[in-house]
Amino acid sequence: MGEGLSIKQFVTEVKKGNISVLEHTEKILSEAEQSNSQYHYFNLIAREAALKQAGEVEASIKTGRNKGMLPGVPLSVKDCICVQGIESRAGSKILSGYEPLFDATVIERARAEGAIIIGKTSQDEFGFGTFNTNVGIGFEIPKNPHDIKRCCGGSSGGSAGFTALTKLTHASIGESTGGSIACPASFCGVVGLTPTYGRVSRYGLIDYANSLDKIGSMGKTVEDAALLLEVIAGYDSNDSTSLKQEKDDFSKIEPSKLKIGIVKELFENCDAPVKKECMNAIKKLGAKTQEISLPLNAKYGIAAYYIISTSEASTNLARYCGMRYGLHEKLEGNFNEYFSKVRSNGFNKEAKRRILLGTFARMAGFRDAYYLRAMKARTRLIREFKEAFSKVDVLANPTMPIVAPTFEAIEKLTPLQQYAMDLCTVPANLAGMPHISVPVAMQGKAPVGLMLTADHLQEKKMIQAALAVESACK
Amino acid sequence: MEKNGIVIGLECHIQLNTDSKLFCGCRTQAEEPNSSCCPICLGHPGSKPVLNAKALNYALQVALALNCEVNKEFFFSRKTYFYPDMSKDFQITQYEIPVGVKGHVALSNGKRIGITRVHLEEDPAALVHEAGLGASNFSLVDYNRSGIPLVEVVTEPDLSSPQEARDFLDQLTTILSYLKVYSPSSGTLKADCNVSVYGNARVEVKNVTGKRGVEKALEFEVARQKNLLLNEREVVRETRSFDEKSMTTKATRGKETEEDYGYIFEPDLTAIRLSTAEIKKMKQRLPELHAAKSKRFMQEFNLDEYTANVLARNFTLGLLFEEIAKQVEPMIAAKFLTRELMAVVNRSGLDLNALDLSADEIASLLSLLLDRRVTEKAAKEAIIAYLTKGEKPTQFIERQGLAMDLQERDIEKAVEKVLAENKKAVADLKTGNKKSLNFLVGQVMHLTKAKAEPRLVQKIIAEKIKG
Repeated sequence: MGEGLSIKQFVTEVKKGNISVLEHTEKILSEAEQSNSQYHYFNLIAREAALKQAGEVEASIKTGRNKGMLPGVPLSVKDCICVQGIESRAGSKILSGYEPLFDATVIERARAEGAIIIGKTSQDEFGFGTFNTNVGIGFEIPKNPHDIKRCCGGSSGGSAGFTALTKLTHASIGESTGGSIACPASFCGVVGLTPTYGRVSRYGLIDYANSLDKIGSMGKTVEDAALLLEVIAGYDSNDSTSLKQEKDDFSKIEPSKLKIGIVKELFENCDAPVKKECMNAIKKLGAKTQEISLPLNAKYGIAAYYIISTSEASTNLARYCGMRYGLHEKLEGNFNEYFSKVRSNGFNKEAKRRILLGTFARMAGFRDAYYLRAMKARTRLIREFKEAFSKVDVLANPTMPIVAPTFEAIEKLTPLQQYAMDLCTVPANLAGMPHISVPVAMQGKAPVGLMLTADHLQEKKMIQAALAVESACK
Repeated sequence: MEKNGIVIGLECHIQLNTDSKLFCGCRTQAEEPNSSCCPICLGHPGSKPVLNAKALNYALQVALALNCEVNKEFFFSRKTYFYPDMSKDFQITQYEIPVGVKGHVALSNGKRIGITRVHLEEDPAALVHEAGLGASNFSLVDYNRSGIPLVEVVTEPDLSSPQEARDFLDQLTTILSYLKVYSPSSGTLKADCNVSVYGNARVEVKNVTGKRGVEKALEFEVARQKNLLLNEREVVRETRSFDEKSMTTKATRGKETEEDYGYIFEPDLTAIRLSTAEIKKMKQRLPELHAAKSKRFMQEFNLDEYTANVLARNFTLGLLFEEIAKQVEPMIAAKFLTRELMAVVNRSGLDLNALDLSADEIASLLSLLLDRRVTEKAAKEAIIAYLTKGEKPTQFIERQGLAMDLQERDIEKAVEKVLAENKKAVADLKTGNKKSLNFLVGQVMHLTKAKAEPRLVQKIIAEKIKG
């Protein structure tokens, strides 16, 4: 029942009464539960809440009251997005037991359209990673659905993994700071869509780096991802950085061959097979192309990104001290000793590393040289993008320089080598440009993703091009 | 350096009297601890701040009223440090570019005090030590205060005595009351006081509450430092705290170097941009402030400087005066308000702003007095009753039977009776004995149950005797 259906097809069947929302929800919950012992895509499966919601949606469909866009559509949600009453830990032990008092705006909007929230997906702790291997203390590392020796990519790894694994209709709400939607989408062979910064409200997102964080959508197809974006996007007065934009019909966009800019530096630094598959995909598309050079982004993107993101992250993580929510310890010593104990026990290694890096970068005496300079660089890098978009509609590059690496290979990488893997995804994220990763080929057992980036608020162009790439690579 | 060798600068934190908090919709006034808080002011993961436009407007007004240059673009920053009263372990404040800079305020003697900057920030939660600080082995946290808007006003080191510091705070709070952005009764004022004597090390007395506290802390600190120098000992650069009970300061434990707050731009809030025209319009809309009002009172009503200042310094009093002056002789009104009314206010420790006095009522009372229908004593009693018990003066006079509502005819009758019954006194009076007059007046007053106006009685007696 319901296997292989796109969201639109599924919704039509549900509305006709051909698919029971309750049964479908039960089925996907069972799949999530059964696959979790091997794949670890979920930090929490919200069986009870999901079935309750499914019952309500089912009832509203039977009485013809349901006018939603996503009635009965199961959604998984990255752990860092608050769901009322459901433990939301952002993949960290330090948030053990934190059950938000409110729904994130995106959850509220998805629910209002009838979507069913089935659980919280695995991620690197607070989003701090590229392979979803930097999970919090006591969390499991998700395995690639195509090859369990390989990683899912991160940090929205659980979202990508489960979207790829299940045959049932399903989409996921992910979050990207420096590439955390595109990367796992590429590694798992699904579509990962990151909108313009400010297009989707961050209210209810457990922050990694607020000036970079973007909630986005992940689906089996471009259409699924675009439809979910349509539901969650739009101005929200609860998020001061949210953009005042009219609602767009992202799900009604038709494919179109636009002028594609091939980003020279981002191809140059990729593994040969990845480069080849991505070039092939662009060739199959048959669109007009032009080589575009982004030298500043290629050279300074990673450095600026890691300085800004860790600076912000180190302040965001200050509040986790065992006083109001989350992990608590036995009250002993003065507040400083107590806070230190909770933080020592609650954060895993990478979180501690980024707190140290970020605190250093904003310290008096270093602040000018690191934090402020990175902020200035960012402005310059955005300008470089803007210049490129005066020549082409959409930029294309491999999403990741490699295919999903094996866990064995990851262990050999230094932190700096791991950070360097974000080369292709970081520039668009730093500039707040909408981008999408579309699966274009398989390299053995590992998928390859092509990343398309558009100018601010030009999601429409990005989706047009993505639909064209998707159909060319079928 | 100032003549007397004392250099003082203040960093004042004043709670603005908005209805809701700086970044969420929670009420600023709440009785029960932790009854006015939400995920935002509790710093719950996922919550985001949204700037209270009214608080921003208040801060802009303060900056303009303190003659600051208002920045056309400014933003908020995160000041990160760990402390149990901090809901996020960072405070949203302003760092590089505040609301306003380079302002000035005049003290009552006209001396100009520079204002370095004015900025807007959030108050942390309140720590409660039930058995007193030091005696408690635990602390309670009340988040009702978390997120209340504060305006920080930083002065140049232009103040040269504790009294000047006090005067500055009086001027500052008067301006804030005029702008109606501050309620002295419910909003707290705290200051970090920097002081050095004879060019020696600067000492900071942190977190002193109230105007009087600041004056006392500085008095102690100046004396302490001078005493050290007198004994040829060194004043060390340090941070001290003020103990309100003993009125002394003591060194705080811990770091003496500047704390490193690792400021970054607050990424959850956008920059605020204002046009020159908007700033100009805001400046034009500022109410007349007390210095200007005092001058106007002197010119318009011919008042002396002292009286005009007293009337203008308190916004409510000034307003009351202007209303009353429309109905009765302004000089009389000014005297009555500054002397009689303010005497009651000060003696009983009342807050004039909270009293809701009616200008019409006070004007009616003054009219009675001017018409000699009540005695000055009765008028004083009436105003005490009005201020302390809220009883309307006219009602009070009526209820107490204090109105001298006898007709002249009735008084004449009484005078005639008294003169007829006291022939000897009348004869003495005719020979010029003043004591007899007082006696006769007293008899009339007795007969009329003190409802006659004594001067009127005197006048009638004189007329009768002249015959």
